Formats: sequence, structure tokens, C-alpha cells
Amino acid sequence: MGMEMEMEMGIGVSPVSDQPAAARTEAPLLSVRNLTKHYPITTGLRSKEVGRVRAVDGIDFDVYPGETVGIVGESGCGKSTAASSLIRLEEPTEGTVRFDGEDITQYDQAELKAFRRRVQMIFQDPESSFDPRMSIGEAIAEPLAVQGLSDASRRREIVADLLERVGLAAGDADRYPHELSGGQKQRVGLARALSMNPDMIIADEPVSALDVSIQSEILALMTDLQETFGLSILLISHNLAVIRQICDRVAVMYLGEIVELGTASEVFTNPQHPYTRALLASIPTADPTDRGMGIELTGDVPSPSNPPTGCRFHTRCPELIQPENYEFEQSTWRRVMDLRQKLDQGTVDVDAIREGVVTERESDETPDDVSATETKARLRDEFAIPQSLDDSRAESVLDAALDELVSGNPAAARERLATEFATPCESQSPTLEDTTAGQTASCLRLENELPPTELEQTVRSD
Amino acid sequence: MAVDNEPRETFEDVDWDDIDETTRAFSRKTIVTIGAYMLFAVGLLYDYVLKPPRADTIEPLGISLQALDWLYILTLLTILVGVVVPLYENGRMTRYYWQQFRKNRAAVASLIYLGVIFLIGSIGPRFLEQPTVDPSNAYQPPVFTSAPNWLPVECAGEVAGGSCHGTWAHPFGTTHEGKDILVSVIYGMEVSMQVGLIAALITITIAAIVGVSAAYFGGWIDAALMRYVDIQITFPTFFLYLMIVYLYGGSLFSMIVIFGLLGWGGIARIVRSEALQRREEEYVLAAKNAGASGYWTMRRHLLPNVSNSVITAVTLLIPSLILFEASLAFLGLGDPTVPSWGEVIASGRSDLPNAWWVSTIPGIFLFFTILAFNFVGDALRDALDPRADGGDK
Repeated sequence: MGMEMEMEMGIGVSPVSDQPAAARTEAPLLSVRNLTKHYPITTGLRSKEVGRVRAVDGIDFDVYPGETVGIVGESGCGKSTAASSLIRLEEPTEGTVRFDGEDITQYDQAELKAFRRRVQMIFQDPESSFDPRMSIGEAIAEPLAVQGLSDASRRREIVADLLERVGLAAGDADRYPHELSGGQKQRVGLARALSMNPDMIIADEPVSALDVSIQSEILALMTDLQETFGLSILLISHNLAVIRQICDRVAVMYLGEIVELGTASEVFTNPQHPYTRALLASIPTADPTDRGMGIELTGDVPSPSNPPTGCRFHTRCPELIQPENYEFEQSTWRRVMDLRQKLDQGTVDVDAIREGVVTERESDETPDDVSATETKARLRDEFAIPQSLDDSRAESVLDAALDELVSGNPAAARERLATEFATPCESQSPTLEDTTAGQTASCLRLENELPPTELEQTVRSD
Repeated sequence: MAVDNEPRETFEDVDWDDIDETTRAFSRKTIVTIGAYMLFAVGLLYDYVLKPPRADTIEPLGISLQALDWLYILTLLTILVGVVVPLYENGRMTRYYWQQFRKNRAAVASLIYLGVIFLIGSIGPRFLEQPTVDPSNAYQPPVFTSAPNWLPVECAGEVAGGSCHGTWAHPFGTTHEGKDILVSVIYGMEVSMQVGLIAALITITIAAIVGVSAAYFGGWIDAALMRYVDIQITFPTFFLYLMIVYLYGGSLFSMIVIFGLLGWGGIARIVRSEALQRREEEYVLAAKNAGASGYWTMRRHLLPNVSNSVITAVTLLIPSLILFEASLAFLGLGDPTVPSWGEVIASGRSDLPNAWWVSTIPGIFLFFTILAFNFVGDALRDALDPRADGGDK
């Protein structure tokens, strides 16, 4: 039930670059507003739409000239879809993408083709991103040929130059992809992207398929090329260490939305959103005495076809806002909410709980013989809820709900918990707002100026 | 690589506005290719519309081209444009493939054999008269062999010890009708090559276009094309051909066209399933990211990457087509105007005890031709796959 992300630390991680957060005077190169990509779920011959996968659900961010912006998030949070739909490799459902002042979502085919010269992409899988039947030289020259440079000898010259710039030999042009290593292929990928002399490169998990020892080489090459050619880079990764190594600004995505956006130093040293804090807490450290900060995300990542109401993170948030009339310990509150969510999903099986009790006893009792008290105690254990809550009023509500559940009336239990233990996080959607720390984040805690939880304190003191 | 004194062109030097403004001129190759097809079209137009009916196509030379000949010319032209020219242009690639191909000795021998069959089959019928019925010349044994003296009506060679010896006048002997088997076999070569190449080219052209488009476009185009394939596969092509034989008589042209136009369903399915996998590869996305059109992606990425399956399918298809033609001819359902291997085999089947050569000699040619196509296909498949064995650089 833990985090599904691998948060490896790459070797040779440089300290976070201290890009001043001063107001920029220049116009952004790329400006994304309300970018949305929904995949319809259809059924039947007439392709009737029965639902939508909200892969990307209204994201806003800017990329300035020469800047590296990172998008980080778990697998399936929509970061790759965001990348491919913002340059119209897939058509976005909604939203505007301004590149150098022009809305590219309005481009026709010819304009789009010309636009391709200005933004190039590097792909995740070096095995699959090269046609096995094209030599490396042909692959690098492909964009040139597609864009109309029909002189083959000119293409060969440019390819030879590009290969040397990315640290390969000009003679490698005749080799085939299967003859190169993953790192070499990623260099070729960079060469292919550079061949268009782009203003911006979008790198979708450029190093996640590579050995850790190769990762920092490729990242260093990217930063080198960025400096030489003044490129903007949009880096998409699930790997915080990679983001930290080269990004100026970071956007944290969760379930199709950006939850926090700021400079890398702000986000990494003073995270404002509980999700960001959980991500940062999951980075293993080299200190063996450090057992982590104890932030563990419970629950599964919800499906983007049916995202949670209110704040999308509320089903897993360790810093969920507590109901007004009750006083919980924060971690206990999270456990109680886990129980509530399981109840709502209808996945709490009381009979299975009873059977579990019987199996452990090794007696001849049948599950029907297990008393209500035992079942309730067992249920609390299952959800790691203490046998008695500190707040007596909360305890009585929970106890009553468990009684109803055990007596075979889960609907009543659900109803009781929903009215008594309601949190604003499940009904109100937070918006991205400026925080006192400098970056923007979307969390009701910040909107309502609630005091930080103990968890937050732990991360901040880091 | 020579040392350049001139600084070479880099990607930063490319002036895209300049490239956009230059109207893309057709390359010389494109012009020549289009010219060749135009010439073909003009020839066809002349033969069927302009020239007086029943006159020879090229009057002074006495050459008359039939529908099948035009189709064969088109096939050879397409093989030239689609196979020979690209092989010549990409010399490095061709040499690499050849290196791979020649590792298979049997395939090299087969290729030479097929080349000889093709050449003799193309040239021979231009200079040789069709074998004629000549009862006085029946049952001549092949050269270096002999037959009982009572068998031939009139032994053309030496008669010694009650045996008639074969002569160079009829190196492969003659049939019961006195037709020269060598000449029949040479005519049969042309028939077999025509059947194999024309029908296979029609088949793979349609199969590749349908399969790749279905996979690339998906949606209703995919659904429509594949449902049509389902219907076509259930269609009894053999009975359609039988019906045509009974209505209009057997003809090689209709046989080839029917099997070419109705036999591509299975290969189209193979191509589609292969192309579906390839479409999901990131290099297809990379091509799109470069601004490539759907046509570019299909032509440059999907087609080359499904060529393995296509070549495998074709190497099975060509010999089976040749065999099919031979079977139909054997059953007497072939084209009565052209001597084909199957027809000669059939004509000798009652004479096997006495005149073994009549059926055996064309049978050997049929056998080796089919075997050779299989060997060549096998080696081609291995050679064309860059992943098979490329680490020797």
C-alpha cells in the first residue's frame, strides 16, 4: 500500500540551483493554460461514451527561455500525456498552449509542421524510439528530411556534426540502433531532437530506462547543450533526484492536476503541499540511522476515470483536515478515513473479518460464534485504529458506526460516518494559490490558513 | 573519411525559411520513374484504343502483346522500381544484406538457378516456336538415354541393339504427340515466372496497403477493411475460377488476376497485426514529432518493419501459386494455348512405364523451382532482419 514511485537518488546530485524567484521581465516561451486531455471510454458499435479518463485535467504553467522546468509525479498521474498533448502529438481536449505568443492549438497542419521545428521531444524508451530498420544517421536526419531538406549530402554533414556534439563518432551514422547501448541511444535521441535547432526540448523520462551510472552523464550532456544553444527544457520524470539535479522550476502533478509549482529550491526545501511532502519524504537518504520521516501514503492511486471529489488527494492525504467538532491524532484520523473510504467502496467484508478471528483461535467455533466486540476489535486492528480514540465523542461515533457495520447494516454506518466525520477536503476543490513560501500550491489547509500538522513540521525541519 | 578543410554544415546553418521557399522539385529519379509508368500507360492506350483491332502491337517486328504480357511488363517494371533501384541506390545496405544472404549456400545456388530460369524463360519463347504436334516424331528419348526401339514411331537417333538412342535434336525427348519437351519446359518457365511474380506482386501490394492502412488509421477504416477481408476469405476462389473456365475457357490471365485479386486476405491480416504493434512504438511518435505525415510514417516506418512478415508470406505464396497453376494445368483447367509444366506432366502420366521422361523432366523443374523459392525466402528473411546477426562490425 506504499508509494508506487521509485525515488532513487542519482549519483552526483548537484545542490539545488538557486534561481532567484525574482519577477521575470521577459515573456514566457511556452504558456500552458487549462490544458485538458480526456480519453473517452466508449462502448458498442455507435461508440457511445460511457465515461472519460481524465488523464490531464486543466493544468497551467509557463516555461521561460533558457529555463528547465520539471514535471514530477507518480506513474499514471498524467505527466506524459501532458507533454504529448501540449505539443499536439495527441490533440488536447481543451485549453490553450501559447508558444512564443501564438496559440498552437489553433494551428493548421502546415503551421503545425513548421512548429515541430521549434519544439522537439526526447522519448523514454531508447529501445523503442528508434526504427530498427533505420541507421542512426537516417534516424537523426529524419526530421531534416521530413521538413524538406532534400539534399542527402547536406544531411550527412549535419548528422556527422551532431553525432560529435553529443559525444559519439561521426562514423557511427552507419550503425543500427541494436548496435548501441541505451546511453548511446539516448545521446542519439538528443542529436535527433537537436537536428531541428529547436527552442525547446521536451524530455519524457529521458533517463529512467538507463543505468544510474549513465543517468547523470546524459543529464550533464543535456545541461551542456542547454547552455550552448540556449534551450528551454521541459523535463518529465518520476525521479525527484533527476528533477532536483537539473530543474530550475518544478511542477508536482497528482491525478491530472498540478498541486504545487515553484522554483526547485522552494519546492525541495519548503514543500507546501502534503503530496509534495510525502514525495520528498520517500527519498531514501544515505544516512543509515535515518529511518525516514514516517510519512507513508496509504491507499491506492485512484483511477483517473473516476477521480475523487473535492481535493483529489484527499483519499490518501496524511494531512487531511479534521472535522470541526472532533479532536483526533492526525495519523488516527487518516486511518479512520481509510475505513470510511473502504466502506464507501463497499470493500469491507465483515464475514472475512470473523473468519480471520476463528482461524487464529484454532477452535471449533464457526464464524457466527464470534462476538460483536471481537469483530469490532479486529476491524480496528485491520485499519490500525486504536481500540479507543482519545476524543470520547469521536469514539462514541466510531463505536456506533462499527456496531451498525457488524450488525449487518453498512449503509447506516456509512451514513453516520459521512455526516459526523466530514472533511472539507472531500467537498471543496482547492485552487493553485500563492503561498507565503513563494511557490504556488493547491491545498485547503493553505487556503483556510490552518496551522501546520506535526508531519509538516517534520519535513520542514529537515 | 577525408579531412575537411571547409567547416562542414551544422544544424544551426540550415535556413528553414529558404528551404520552405524553394518549391520542392521532383528528383531525377522520381521523373524517370513517373516517365517509365507513363510510357507503359501510353503503350497500353495505343494497344487497346488507338491501333486497329487485330493488328500486331508492333507491326514491323510482328510482336503482338496480350493482356498477360502487359501485366507482366508492369510487374517487371514495378520490381525494377521497387526492388532493384533501391538496392542499387543503397549500395552499403545492399552489400550488408548480400553478406548476410550469402552465408546460406543453398540460397545462393537457388538464386542462381532462379535467375537462369527467369532469363531462359524470358528470352527463350521470343525465339522458339511453340512446340507443335508431330506424330511421326513421338516418344523420342532424351539425349544420352535410350528407349525400346518399338516405342518411337521413327527413331531420330541411332538405333543399336534394339534400342533407340536420344539425340541433340531433342535433348529432353518428345511427348506422345511429338512435342519437344525442352521447348515446352522453356515455355513453362515463362508461365511459372508469370504466375508466381504477377500474382504475388498483386497480392502483396494490396495486402500491404490494406494491412498497413487498417493498422495506422484504425477506427472505422480498420473495421471496414478487415470485415471485407473476412468476407473475401470465405469466398471460394477456386470455384470462381472453375466457373470462368466453363464460361470462357481457361486462361492464364484470368487465373493470375483471380488469384492475385482474391488471395491477399490472409497476408493483409498478418501485415495488419504486425503493423499494429509497430504503430505503438515510440519511433512512430518521434516521426510525428518531426512533422511527418501519415504517408511518411506508413512508407518509412511501418512498411519496412512489416517486410519480414511480408517476405515470409511471399516466399510461401510464390511457390504455392506456381504449384497451383501446375495442378490446374494438370487437371486440364489451365490455359490450352500455352504449354506449362503441369500440362506436360499431365500429358505423360499414362506413358510413365515406357516414356518416363515426359512427366519426369518438367516435374524436376517444378520441384527445384519451388525448392529454390523456399531457400531464397528463408535466407532473405534472415538477411533482412538487422537484429538477426549484426554485431560483426
